[in-house]
Amino acid sequence: MLLGLVSQSLLSGVTNGLIYALVGFGIAAIFRGAHIANVMQGEFSVVGAVVVDVLLVQIGMPYWAAAIIGCLSGAALGALIDVVFIRRLVAQKAPDDSYLLFTIGVSITISAAVLFLFGREGHLLPPIGSGQIFIVLDAVVQEHALWLIGISVILMFALRYFYRRTTLGMRMSAAAIDPDGAATIGIDVRAMRTLTFVLGGVLGAIAGILITPIIPVSYMVGLPLTLKGFSAAILGGLTNPLGAVAGGLVIGILEALVVMQMSSAYKDVVTFSGLILIMIFMPRGLLGRAGRAGG
Amino acid sequence: MLQIASLVSGYDALAVLHDVSLHVKESEAVAIIGANGAGKTSLVRAIAGLNRAMRGAIAMHGADMTHLPAHARPAHGIASLLENRRLFGEFTIEENLRLAETAGRKLRPGRTKFEWNDVCDLFPIVRERGATRVELLSGGQQQMVAVARCLLLQPDLLILDEPSTGLAPKVVKDILEVLGALRDRGMAILLVEQNVGIAASLTERAYVMSLGRIVHEVAGEEWRNFGTDERLAKAYLGGGREP
Repeated sequence: MLLGLVSQSLLSGVTNGLIYALVGFGIAAIFRGAHIANVMQGEFSVVGAVVVDVLLVQIGMPYWAAAIIGCLSGAALGALIDVVFIRRLVAQKAPDDSYLLFTIGVSITISAAVLFLFGREGHLLPPIGSGQIFIVLDAVVQEHALWLIGISVILMFALRYFYRRTTLGMRMSAAAIDPDGAATIGIDVRAMRTLTFVLGGVLGAIAGILITPIIPVSYMVGLPLTLKGFSAAILGGLTNPLGAVAGGLVIGILEALVVMQMSSAYKDVVTFSGLILIMIFMPRGLLGRAGRAGG
Repeated sequence: MLQIASLVSGYDALAVLHDVSLHVKESEAVAIIGANGAGKTSLVRAIAGLNRAMRGAIAMHGADMTHLPAHARPAHGIASLLENRRLFGEFTIEENLRLAETAGRKLRPGRTKFEWNDVCDLFPIVRERGATRVELLSGGQQQMVAVARCLLLQPDLLILDEPSTGLAPKVVKDILEVLGALRDRGMAILLVEQNVGIAASLTERAYVMSLGRIVHEVAGEEWRNFGTDERLAKAYLGGGREP
């Protein structure tokens, strides 16, 4: 009985933690690549999930095709925001607080647009796979949760490889580390920033698509997702995107343990108190720069 | 090869360089000297494309690149070693250099002058400590890596902003030896330097800058004497030679 409770909590913690990690990874990647605290990251998830819902439920498109277009919508939104708005702010040498206000504004706008177009009700996607249920260590495991864990873990390794081993990933990191130095070796720093936003948009959309079979997505979900993603990113070290994975898992598991031992009403209190303590005693996050350039 | 005509440039709307004109010929080593605040670094940044040209023109091999973005300039044969080196400290030596090597191959196809092995021969540290993160190296070692990175861009003109600053005399001597070898191989060099002795030992002529303007051009005997004649240096630089 106790084993089942513990393993169920841990599974729930890992599942939620990986979602926070995906959102946090996007936030940290954009912070590192563009030095912008991106409050609209959760809205990428909302848009991705809503697009898939429309294509899948209303148009009848196959799940895989709808998911790809959902990811592309996140990418397009990220690119649009950088090309149309961020570039102008950068050209005008806007102060840091302008970017924060801008992303808050875009976040509210997207949220309002989703409310206007899709209404107040939550949208639930069907689970990935055949919907089978397994019993592992006395815990009930839905097949979708395994897909979520598998896809997230593969994605993290792929991103680690991308940042550390591919020329494009290293160019993106180089542009983030020293824009002037990067430009003098032929790296188009502006294009790298746009790609960072594209990556952030895709990661946000993937998080949205993966979470929506578990939690209904509505116009209100973006901000709480952003907050959890930010917590994950700060915990892991805001300039170290892969640190957000560690941060997300810590938060997810901590939340699950609080729910198991106390009440779900206290989970945010305990989580954010822990976050404050870590910020005080480990201001560079759990990993700091140990994970270096994107991993 | 490099032609700058009546250049006005600076930071945002503030002009720091006023009516600067200079040229560097093929295989020529030229120095820019001047006291602190003379505008030397601003000139390097303007040539590299990091500071906007408000007026005037910058051309390389006859091609106008006045308004080209910084990342497009290495394709015209320019490699700039900026102040403080601007390496990617979190990357290893090899990763820093591979990025430049890839860029050099892409931007300067068919104009390879420095293969990976050439750079390793010139800078043994690349072979010896290639897997070491750059931020863990000494200033002198970082300077070597920065020069190596420039060479892998396959440039025709190497621009160096105060490469001797903050380095021990022995390290400066090593770097000068490498730069001398590059000059002897026909590499054009534009050396920005406060230390007149160093500049005179490596270059054939120099432009003297003051308050954002070129106030004098020195060559031949006069320039050679600059390196040793305290009085001459003081007359042009105000503060005399750096120790």
